[in-house]
Amino acid sequence: MPASRRAFLKASLGASALVSFTGGVPRLLARALAAAPRAPERDTVLVVVQLTGGNDGLNTLVPFTDDVYGRSRTTLRLPAAQLHRVSADLGFHPDMQEFRGLFDQGLLSVVQGVGYPGQDRDHGGAMRAWHTAECAPGGAQSGWLGRAADLAWNPDSPGVPAAFVGSIPRPFALSAEETVVPALRSLEELVLRETEEHGGAPSDNPLLQHVRGVDRRARANSLKLEPLARQEGAAAGYPDFSLAADLHQAARLIEADLGVRMVCCELGGGGIGGFDNHANQLGNHCALLRQLAESVAAFIRDLQRIGALPRVLLMTFSEFGRTVSENGRRGTGHGEAAPLFLAGGGLAGGLIGSHPSLVDLVDDAPKHHTDFRRVYATVLEPWLGFDSKAVLGSEFAPLPLLRR
Amino acid sequence: MVHRTPPCRAPEVAPAPASPEQAWLPYQPGDGRPWNLGVAAHLLRRAGFGAGRARLGQALEAGPQGTIDALLRPEADTAAFDRAFDEHEGRAAETGGEAALRSWWLRRMLETPHPLQEKMTVFWLERAAADGARAGEARVLLEHVRLLRQHALGDPRTLLASLLRDPAMLLGHGGEAGRRSRPNERLARHLLENVTLGPGNFSPEDVHEAARALTGGFVQGGRYAFVPREHDAGVKRILGREGNFSGDDLAGILCEQPAAAESLARALYRWLVADEDEPERALLAPLAEAFVREHDFGQLVETVLRSNLFFSARAYRRKIKSPLEYALGLILALEGMVSTTELAQDLAALGQELFRPPSARGWAGGRRWIDEATLARRHNLAADLLRGAGRYGDRLDPYEVARRHGCEREDSAARFLVDLLLQGDADLDAGALLQAAQEAGGNPAATLRAFARALARVPEYQLA
Repeated sequence: MPASRRAFLKASLGASALVSFTGGVPRLLARALAAAPRAPERDTVLVVVQLTGGNDGLNTLVPFTDDVYGRSRTTLRLPAAQLHRVSADLGFHPDMQEFRGLFDQGLLSVVQGVGYPGQDRDHGGAMRAWHTAECAPGGAQSGWLGRAADLAWNPDSPGVPAAFVGSIPRPFALSAEETVVPALRSLEELVLRETEEHGGAPSDNPLLQHVRGVDRRARANSLKLEPLARQEGAAAGYPDFSLAADLHQAARLIEADLGVRMVCCELGGGGIGGFDNHANQLGNHCALLRQLAESVAAFIRDLQRIGALPRVLLMTFSEFGRTVSENGRRGTGHGEAAPLFLAGGGLAGGLIGSHPSLVDLVDDAPKHHTDFRRVYATVLEPWLGFDSKAVLGSEFAPLPLLRR
Repeated sequence: MVHRTPPCRAPEVAPAPASPEQAWLPYQPGDGRPWNLGVAAHLLRRAGFGAGRARLGQALEAGPQGTIDALLRPEADTAAFDRAFDEHEGRAAETGGEAALRSWWLRRMLETPHPLQEKMTVFWLERAAADGARAGEARVLLEHVRLLRQHALGDPRTLLASLLRDPAMLLGHGGEAGRRSRPNERLARHLLENVTLGPGNFSPEDVHEAARALTGGFVQGGRYAFVPREHDAGVKRILGREGNFSGDDLAGILCEQPAAAESLARALYRWLVADEDEPERALLAPLAEAFVREHDFGQLVETVLRSNLFFSARAYRRKIKSPLEYALGLILALEGMVSTTELAQDLAALGQELFRPPSARGWAGGRRWIDEATLARRHNLAADLLRGAGRYGDRLDPYEVARRHGCEREDSAARFLVDLLLQGDADLDAGALLQAAQEAGGNPAATLRAFARALARVPEYQLA
């Protein structure tokens, strides 16, 4: 984003006397932004991957030298020799070789010990907190990405600021107050099956002008998307996983340059199951982490190929981590802090923050030391160029995630 | 051989009235004040969801005021229709949940003999903006819609008082436990800010005191219960009034406020007249004054619909069709019926899922309905509705409709469809469109389907 536009956003957001926060993000704010010129097609993009069910952070980035880990994980303990080490004490799960490769190239960062105060370990409540960025149960009727989409919407050029790509219902994080954020199974849905040019005499009706403008751009989009939507994921080197297919579509959406700024995908199936491994965790967790690592790596390679990597950042999240101890059924219970992964070309790389202690626990789970909204603030403000306070409701200190 | 259709005539609409007094006087066709197909279709789009050719013909015959008489007081047996649909919907709520309820409601909008009532029920649904996800059971939502429908054209004080005892409204805004020790300010704030007064017309103290008036109201097992010992019976000071107010009193107090009258008049203007035109206060004043004086919302709707302003260029095509208006309008014009279960899902993808407003302010609407993704999906929805096969079946048959109205030849059927769907408002080369449709079609039914799909894609068609 050019400096001038960012400066404008800040200036207009700074003068927020008109802004009221009741029930979410202000319409007047969106109006103020209306005056901003549309950023060039080469804007930054955020891709968020939801890991549904509560990912076991301890078996994802494993503290293999910690005796507590070895003692607590009697059946789920991963052999140190099979891990993909990223430091003297930490290594990725055996099935996440691809993450180690990205990490070595500086294309992957891990933020450790991420969580939030008041985690109640309930799937619904925790997911709602991550989706709304509101940690105490409140009346938020929109999600954090939806609010950002409302900020990104420009009435003179109403593109597609955000989209969900996947087959589950659209996650609440994308619920916006004014913008209709599409849930797409495939880009085909934005390809016009029939179309023709619409002329007509000039009109003084602003609504007709609006529709005509959008109509022209929707037709142009369709022309760009049509060949892209027909491409096969396998040909671009994607493995045969649903997340890989969704990320392949996300990459095409980015490649088509429709002005999309935020894309959300999901791994785990949305409902019961997924990462929620209360019993016989080992095999299922292996499969999910392999899907995650291989799909994300294929996505990164694809972005490299099309030259989009420098402007795309992917982040994962899960509603909570899991307990340190096993539960007697070769599974784990709902926990709190967990690591969060970021991948892309603009990252500083490496491990951010320390691994949480396995001794100083809260109810058998690692405590968080980094509020997830600091990650949100970082991807919103320095990365996407939005006022993070306008989206999150208050100020959160950004983390040193990005390359300067 | 291709028959060239003559170029469409330009629409003929009366100019905007010069003064507020002129604006609200009943429209009498005459010199420079036409009564033609375009204006008749405008009335039936705004006061309902659109109409087929027969209905348009009746309107042309009856004139504007006669048509409005029938819209306000339908001759058909509305009671029998309501009984039948109430029964269907009751069963749907029990067995099919919220999705089934949505589907039946769409069906009701398509078949009702009283479309104005349904249109105004949706108006109040948006204003109430209760989040259906919190309702717990579909029966609660069904009761919500029934209540809105019952009072949609009635006394707003009664509507408001009923809403304050309505489980969907309370649950939808977190007001299901009106404890005396913790008055619920969220419901109270919504009531003041979004339903009645509008932002900036009350103080935080008014919200707190209004919340106190609502204490004692609970939702238990999906039903409203008043628990006297939880009601704060002390004196409240709301908007300058003082007394031991209840929820009913609150409804009355709010409806006396000039700010509520103006805010509701403005909302009604946006609903019936124009999306973006900011009406000056002097223009709204007669409506707002009548609201405070008579407390008759039906009368207000009647005044707007009958007015010079409503039939003028200031209103004509100055709204963007909501997804609901877009799809139902097409189905009504083509005299068919489709699966409203499918349709409800497609409308949700276009941003309009009934019972699931995106915020407490309802749907943003207006030009927000149309962006690069939703417009593409609108076009693809029309393509599905008019494919003649697939999930919507073949019951929308434009050629059959044209024949029913005496147009056998493809070119005359095409002209018929242009009049039916656009009334000459679009600057289009119908001949070229027909030729393209003939290439895509094959037989007359397929050709006219392709032609109707093309008309539904015209930018002017997206305007209400």
